[in-house]
Amino acid sequence: MRLRTAAVAALATGLLAPAAAPAQEPSYPEPANPGKVAPAPSGKGKTRTVCKRGCRFTTIQAAVDRSRKGDTVRVRNGTYRESVSVTGAKKSYLELIGNPKHPGRVMLAGGGKRQNGVFVNGADEVRIRGFKARRYRANGFFLTNVVGYTVRDVIAARSGVYGVYAFNSKGGTMRDSEAHYHADAGFYIGQTPAQVKPIRSIVKNVESWGNPIGFSATNMRYVTITGSRFFDNAIGVVPNALDSEKFPPAEDNVIRGNEIFWNNFNFHAGAPFKPKQSGVVPLVPVGTGLLLLGGRRNTVEANLVYGNYAVGVAAIEGFLLEKNPQARALVGNVVRDNSFGLEGTDLNGRDLAYDGNGTGNCFGGNAGVQVTLPEDGSTLAACPFAGANAFSADAQARMTALAGEAAVGSWIRHPHAPKPGFEPLELYKP
Amino acid sequence: MDDSSTTRRSFFGLSAGAALLCTIAGEEVRLDDPDAAGKADALAAQVKRPPGAAPQDELSFPTPEPQPGGQRREYWIQARTRRWDVAPTGRDDWHGRPVPGKRRFRALVYQLMQPGFAAPAGPALMPGPTLHAEVGDVLVVHFRNAAAKLRQALALHPHGVRYTPDYDGVYLGEHTRVGGFVAPGEEFTYTWEATPDAVGVWPYHDHGPNHTLNTFRGAFGAIVVRERGAKQPDVEHVLFLHQLLPPVTGLGHAFQAINGRAYAGNTPTIQARTGQDVALHVIGMDNNFHDFHVHGHRWKDAAGAFVDTPAVGPNETITARFVEDNPGRWLYHCHVFSHQDAGMAGWYMVSP
Repeated sequence: MRLRTAAVAALATGLLAPAAAPAQEPSYPEPANPGKVAPAPSGKGKTRTVCKRGCRFTTIQAAVDRSRKGDTVRVRNGTYRESVSVTGAKKSYLELIGNPKHPGRVMLAGGGKRQNGVFVNGADEVRIRGFKARRYRANGFFLTNVVGYTVRDVIAARSGVYGVYAFNSKGGTMRDSEAHYHADAGFYIGQTPAQVKPIRSIVKNVESWGNPIGFSATNMRYVTITGSRFFDNAIGVVPNALDSEKFPPAEDNVIRGNEIFWNNFNFHAGAPFKPKQSGVVPLVPVGTGLLLLGGRRNTVEANLVYGNYAVGVAAIEGFLLEKNPQARALVGNVVRDNSFGLEGTDLNGRDLAYDGNGTGNCFGGNAGVQVTLPEDGSTLAACPFAGANAFSADAQARMTALAGEAAVGSWIRHPHAPKPGFEPLELYKP
Repeated sequence: MDDSSTTRRSFFGLSAGAALLCTIAGEEVRLDDPDAAGKADALAAQVKRPPGAAPQDELSFPTPEPQPGGQRREYWIQARTRRWDVAPTGRDDWHGRPVPGKRRFRALVYQLMQPGFAAPAGPALMPGPTLHAEVGDVLVVHFRNAAAKLRQALALHPHGVRYTPDYDGVYLGEHTRVGGFVAPGEEFTYTWEATPDAVGVWPYHDHGPNHTLNTFRGAFGAIVVRERGAKQPDVEHVLFLHQLLPPVTGLGHAFQAINGRAYAGNTPTIQARTGQDVALHVIGMDNNFHDFHVHGHRWKDAAGAFVDTPAVGPNETITARFVEDNPGRWLYHCHVFSHQDAGMAGWYMVSP
């Protein structure tokens, strides 16, 4: 969620920043049109093995440099202190395989000036599997300007911006992976080019916790997020519309069948990373499960949403857009068949909040809804719904008042139901 | 590749086990042996994405919305390949004998998916999921070409319902509209209207650059449109009658199939009880005419005449609808004897 200003009132400065060059972050490539997917290689590629001793290659980068389209780089257990760069169409269909069963045993170690654990730029259908990346200055795994990718069985921890990050790309898969303790978002897909016949991205069975944002989705399109868990973040999932990236707003995404719970991590009060003091991150309403900040034709359905002290699922006009005001309105979003409050055992502070902005947005078949904003539910049109929604300026004002750490003051706390293997994280204790 | 020739393609199924002829991408392919289907696929993979519409094809059309009181009925359907067993039991239950020879081949089938293609919502079968609508509804079909191994564009073409050219789902060479060429990995959302004259049961099927071969290997399904509020039959089945020939399947001999299966015990076994309202929708999905016969039963055809063995042609539908009054084990089958004997038969079990 790239935006750097101090407060909502001062957002214009940040909105004028270059789309892909956050000032506090090391260099990002300029986005290019990913175009069409590179043709698949014919025949079987070569396999190169990397290990710390006794192999021809002792660094992953050296093996990647020697690889051609469709080749495989196998990396044995060990710690690799490097940033791996996979750049250009000649590296398309490259496979980087560590230890899928135990990704922590193939450690990509950041530190110093190392920016990304693995950085893929312009190489289509690269597969990354079985690595852990930690403490990179920017991102654990970063893919940009590509058509298709697979990131699977990875762990991304404690990097400076994002854990697993796909930007300006068409299609891809993130699955069976974990991201925690990043200074921005655990997972992030942003700036998806609009497509008439889109290539869908699938995010499946991922786990994101301990971040300001579990899953950030600035101007994201054609993404399905399913079977995943977003918990112990300040906010769980945020499809959002910002000027800081191209192609606002977020559109045509399906968020289905996830668990979104306990997103009450007040990183402002302490975190294992240096909390950002500017941009959008300080503004995320702590204690929120899912927020649609603008967006069109997004579907949020069949999720379990519980134990979020501010609000479970919220939708609000994309009011941060100034250069693209035409993309502010919420249009055709559907929030249906979700289950709130874990059958009364782990309640959200508020289950649903909606300012009534836009047209054709509806809420239907949601179980366990006890508290809404506004309280009378006047903005929450039942599904199906066509036409203008019932806007409430008061509701919008009350929702924007929940921005940032201020939300903590408006929390409605409830006890959590025990969940084996999980611990609530509100205040970080080293 | 000669662009002008990419639109000229045809298959001629002569009879069970006989040669098929296919013209695609400017080359004539005699499908006399299993390798020829592979050649057809390779040629289909060479078909380029249409460069753009001709002037007369540049008309734009609004996406239809439901009529007052109607609904958007959304379906998420992907096309994928899978190994398909023509006779999973390995036996012909009618004649009490084993089904000889190999039975498995790579089929192209449709699969119902959860929204967003999050996960399968049903098995990948012949036929694909049946789409239901009532008059005034729109069918919104999110279609995904997940048959990456075929490396060719697909398209979803409906019969019966109303659609604009964008949603025709047909490859027309350089005149192809947006919905007529869905490359591997891509999605396209078709919107079809259930108009009053769409009431009935209709097929849908692939109509991409290689649609004849793809339809022969399983890329078909049905659409059921009813009057608003019309009663649904107590028992309702869609039965596709089609042949699976060696040039398509690579198998040693021809199978005459119902919904992709051959021989009683493998084809659908239909269950009903006395007094139930039964509807059997029968659709021809090959180059032959079939005669659909149900033992012990008769019904009225569209003209009001009583029948028990009506003919059904390629992509044509007949419906056998009756109130069940005759319990017992019954056979249903195609009455073209060579089809019946090659597997186009099944059980109809009626309880008192």
